[in-house]
Amino acid sequence: MAVCVAVIAKENYPLYIRSVPSQSELKFHYTVHTSLDVVEEKISTAGKAMAEQRELYLGLLYPTEDYKVYGYVTNSKVKFVIVVDSSNTSLRDNEIRSMFRKLHNSFTDVMCNPFYNPGDPIQSRAFDSMVSAMMVQSS
Amino acid sequence: MSVPDYMQCAEDHQTVLVVVQPVGIVPEDQFFRIYKRISSVNQVNVRDTQRALFIRYRHHYPPENNEWGDFQTHRKVVGLISVTSCSSAKEWPQTAERFHGQKELFGSTLYDSRLLVFGLQGDIAEQQRTDVAFYPSYDNCPDVEKRVEDFVESIFIVLESKRLDRATDKSGDKIPLLCVPFEKKDFVGLDTDSRHYKKRCQGRMRKHVGDLCLQAGMLQDALVHYHMAVELLRSVNDFLWLGAALEGLCSASVIFHYPGGTAGKSGARKPSISAATDTGKRHRPGAQEVLIDPGALTTSGISADTSSEIGRAKNCLSQEDIIEKYKEAISYYGKYKNAGVIELEACVKAVRVLAIQKRAMEASEFLQNAVYINLGQLSEEEKIQRYSVLSELYELIGFHRKSAFFKRVAAMQCVAPTIPDPGWKACYRLLLETLPGYSLSLDPKDFSKGTHRGWAAVQMRLLHELVYASRRMGNPGLSVRHLSFLLQTMLDFLSDQEKKEVTQSLENYTSKCPGGMNIITLPDGLKLPPVPFTKLPIVKSVSLLNLPASLRPHKVKGLPGQGVTSASPFIYSPITLHSRGDDRTKKIDFQWVQGDVCEVQLMVYNPMPFELRVENMGLLMSGVEFESLPAALSLPAESGLYPVTLVGVPRTAGNITVNGYHTSVFGVSSDCLLDSLVGVKSSGCTVEVVPSLPRLQLSTSLPRSARLCGEDLSSSVCLQLFNGETQQLVITLENIGSETLNTLEMSSKTLTTKEKLFGDFLSWDLQDALSRLPLKPGQAVTVPVDIHAKLDFSGQENLLQDLNDDGISVTGLPISSPLRQVLKPRPENKQVNADTSKSEYNHVKTLEAVLNFRYSGGLGQVEGYYREISLGVKVDVEPSVFFTRVSTLPASSTRQCHLLLDVFNPTEHELTLTARNQQLILHSSECQRMAIQVDKFDFESLPMPSHDVLRQSSLYQQEEERQQAHGGQINSTLDLRWNIISFSCQLLSSLCSSGEASVEGVLTQLVLEHMQLAPLQWDVLVNGKACDSDVVADCKVGDAVPLEVKLTNRSKSPVGPFSLTVVPFQDYQNGVQNSELQDVVTFIGSNSFYIDSVSPAGNSTCVGALLFLYTGDFYLSIKFQDDSVGRDLPPASFCLPSVHVRAQEPVEVAA
Repeated sequence: MAVCVAVIAKENYPLYIRSVPSQSELKFHYTVHTSLDVVEEKISTAGKAMAEQRELYLGLLYPTEDYKVYGYVTNSKVKFVIVVDSSNTSLRDNEIRSMFRKLHNSFTDVMCNPFYNPGDPIQSRAFDSMVSAMMVQSS
Repeated sequence: MSVPDYMQCAEDHQTVLVVVQPVGIVPEDQFFRIYKRISSVNQVNVRDTQRALFIRYRHHYPPENNEWGDFQTHRKVVGLISVTSCSSAKEWPQTAERFHGQKELFGSTLYDSRLLVFGLQGDIAEQQRTDVAFYPSYDNCPDVEKRVEDFVESIFIVLESKRLDRATDKSGDKIPLLCVPFEKKDFVGLDTDSRHYKKRCQGRMRKHVGDLCLQAGMLQDALVHYHMAVELLRSVNDFLWLGAALEGLCSASVIFHYPGGTAGKSGARKPSISAATDTGKRHRPGAQEVLIDPGALTTSGISADTSSEIGRAKNCLSQEDIIEKYKEAISYYGKYKNAGVIELEACVKAVRVLAIQKRAMEASEFLQNAVYINLGQLSEEEKIQRYSVLSELYELIGFHRKSAFFKRVAAMQCVAPTIPDPGWKACYRLLLETLPGYSLSLDPKDFSKGTHRGWAAVQMRLLHELVYASRRMGNPGLSVRHLSFLLQTMLDFLSDQEKKEVTQSLENYTSKCPGGMNIITLPDGLKLPPVPFTKLPIVKSVSLLNLPASLRPHKVKGLPGQGVTSASPFIYSPITLHSRGDDRTKKIDFQWVQGDVCEVQLMVYNPMPFELRVENMGLLMSGVEFESLPAALSLPAESGLYPVTLVGVPRTAGNITVNGYHTSVFGVSSDCLLDSLVGVKSSGCTVEVVPSLPRLQLSTSLPRSARLCGEDLSSSVCLQLFNGETQQLVITLENIGSETLNTLEMSSKTLTTKEKLFGDFLSWDLQDALSRLPLKPGQAVTVPVDIHAKLDFSGQENLLQDLNDDGISVTGLPISSPLRQVLKPRPENKQVNADTSKSEYNHVKTLEAVLNFRYSGGLGQVEGYYREISLGVKVDVEPSVFFTRVSTLPASSTRQCHLLLDVFNPTEHELTLTARNQQLILHSSECQRMAIQVDKFDFESLPMPSHDVLRQSSLYQQEEERQQAHGGQINSTLDLRWNIISFSCQLLSSLCSSGEASVEGVLTQLVLEHMQLAPLQWDVLVNGKACDSDVVADCKVGDAVPLEVKLTNRSKSPVGPFSLTVVPFQDYQNGVQNSELQDVVTFIGSNSFYIDSVSPAGNSTCVGALLFLYTGDFYLSIKFQDDSVGRDLPPASFCLPSVHVRAQEPVEVAA
């Protein structure tokens, strides 16, 4: 489904970024990096409106020619970004939501690990395999 | 129309376009000076009306854009100002010709034009012409602005007339169809009489009038006209013009809502593309007044309905609607491929409006749309411009990352391979501008706090690009700096392969341009701070090392300044002040010395996967003048912690602080300050440097040996001596420093051993050396030191036992004795077991002592510092002789006694023992007795230790000391010496060694008592001659022999009274003594004496006389009458000498 999955820390540096190996990794770095602008904008505007009821799912951040970039922000301001191929029209909003939910759950597990130092890059194998599963389904 | 103006904004619809161009050859700087002055007149309040006219100046305008002037009148060039240089009247016609040619270019649209001529003087300049102004020079043209204002006013008049003309043209039978260039061929052959066509003409004209109204400062009229145009055009589906009408509506509304303008200050344009300098001056203070003042509207007097307040509110779009209408307009523009520029500009304008409204999300949608607008084949320069404008706009709405992304794309476009002449400088500058977007600063200090967190992959890419761009720019220094930065900050993210590549290219660059610590200032003022390689190698700890023990300075105690200055008034407090992180400022409690090499140890490690060569590594110090002696080192790949010692010499005195170190790695020299390092352990970095002191080097006549354990010694000697042997050690002290040595003191300390030591272990004479002070550098003195090993000579207990069993006359030990086996190892295993037997052989004892030389000189002495050099002396003492048992026998005289020594030779050699005049030869492991006649000792006469010592020491110690003193006296009298004749057969030479022996340790209390002189000294004088055992007193028969008994009391208490009886007897030498001599000897007077009590140190004498009647040998025995008197005194006290008197015939008879 996804071609790139990224977890970005509260301070906007990447905790985890993984993309399908077929394409240039740097390109996705750029894509995810620039998408943060939109994420920040969405948080700042939505944050004012309804602080507590804010939906975590941010929806489509922006479409590019080849990809669609979706965002999700946890309450602790950790951002998830999923990039999917534009050609993949079978994906509905609901499916993207469920992917984010899965990602969030897995991330929560990572945070629950007492040996994980918040702010460090995520190296959990469980998280990695979950992300792999997400990406495998697409191809 | 193919060239978009990315700087456009909504309020540009309000302006009239004036092109300012040079004619002929005009120096560029002069032209732009004039251009600047002209463009300062960007708003003119027209006389008689309260309306204002806004002017947009361009010095370059493509004529094809002018063709769209009917579509949007602000695109129409209505004014032309030409600037020309004309030095002589001859050139004038030509110049005028050119001016006309230029007018032709924009001819169809121009309302008016002006020519500014500079440099021309004379007749031509005198003539008054409205369209030409003459100025003598570029510097002398005070009324340019005035001229321009007049010019603008003339434009206004034309504009106003056109507006009125078109606005009142309602009744006109035939409204011309306005159209854009690409439409022209579409309308060929169209029915011009149809209703549809007419409506289209009307709508387009309405829109055009709206534009004119807007330009003429009649905002409300414009709004009305736009609204009408929208209605008309919508009904005929004329989408392009409907879009234009909507955009006009939006523009008018924006002008109404945001009189401050929407361009902001960020519209900095690139001079290469458009040098318009009118940016930042978009604020129009007059605009608001125009809008508010109703008079401004009524004066126009065209449509009454548009001047009402209601109309204003109704016609003007709300802020929300503006965006909606913009969207609509853009969607209409999008239908036309040829209107790409219009669409793009509309997008840009909308984004600017949205930026002011702070609706970034919607703005980004507009921008996203703008990205996809295809303008056909764009030139590279246009692409660059487009990307930079996109970047600027993203910046405007706060999308810094997106902005950085596009800026980077623009930068890459500058050097696209298709460009024949790549603009590396522009690329580099653009790349630098992207840095904030990637949250990257070029200051390594920002990266020194913990692990780097950021988009490493993206940042690394950018840095690589910076390196490459700066290299292609031909600035290797810059690329070295960037590459150093990349290596320093991104080290954790580089793979091993990348590390290799980066360092290799760094080395390549530095071979041309070595990197340094200077700040690189770019032409645009950006400063690139230096990048110290604090991670190549990584320093983990810094510790200052103390000088070697022999070079440490010591402070003379008691001098002022030594006082303990503690922050706390308490000597001890459990509350310790935590100085967390303040360790580096802490002062270290040792000192360095000026002029002496001092060391700092760094623990470093190499994080690189290959060998790291660090050159020129030295210390950075502050506080005193410091000469650093750099080192070069090579660290193996991924080394663990590796100690590196950096050295240097402080040249002046004071407090010195270690600030950091400098290195040179891969050709980049860096100064790494400890303050900026993370995780460096340090126990303080400030140390005091004391003024210079002399330096002594110590050498001895004996070979050096391994150091003694537990002591911090400069050197030590080790030697082997037999017990009692003395050896001289010559110590040479050479001043190898640069200061004169003024004082020298010497002291020794014997390390505590369980062995009892007799006499001085070390003795020396310093007088000679002191007489040669002061010692200049390079000079040397010698100090002879006597090493005197004198330990206990008593045999060990087991040995004593053996001897006791065996009796005195042993010549060897019993075969069963274990000692014997040790002493006499079998010849065959002697060599092999030499070491092991030695260790078993517990008789070798070790003595250790330290000789201290304390010296000072130079400036350091003035400050009260001195140095100490010490020499350890270790002596292995082998036993020479043993006195296994000591006893006494009374001698014939009461003043003398025989000391019996059982002497044992534990050595493997023959040994001669001499005592006074006696000599005893002992074979190996032989034991013999030696009897020495000695005088008894008067121990009382020995000086007693002072009272202080007495008080302090216990009774036991006093006793011990006394016994020792007694022993010493006995020993000095005995003068026992041994001589070992054949020293070692292994050395194949017979060496002689000799030494003293001492009985001190073997003397028991009993022996001592025996050897002590009685406290009561009895002297018997016969004929006035003192008699003792062996002395025979001669007397003559018939003569009265006076007998005197004298008692001297040496004890501390009074003694007596005593009564003595003299009993004469004859000894027949066969054991029979005859005391019945009443008829042979008579007493003259009493035969008993009475001695009164004698006070201490007093004496008492009693005198009697004897008369011998016959010749013969007589003995006199003096006995105490009363035995009870001596009950509290030792029996020795009452030992009177026996008197031997030989009575002879009188001399006359003999004669």
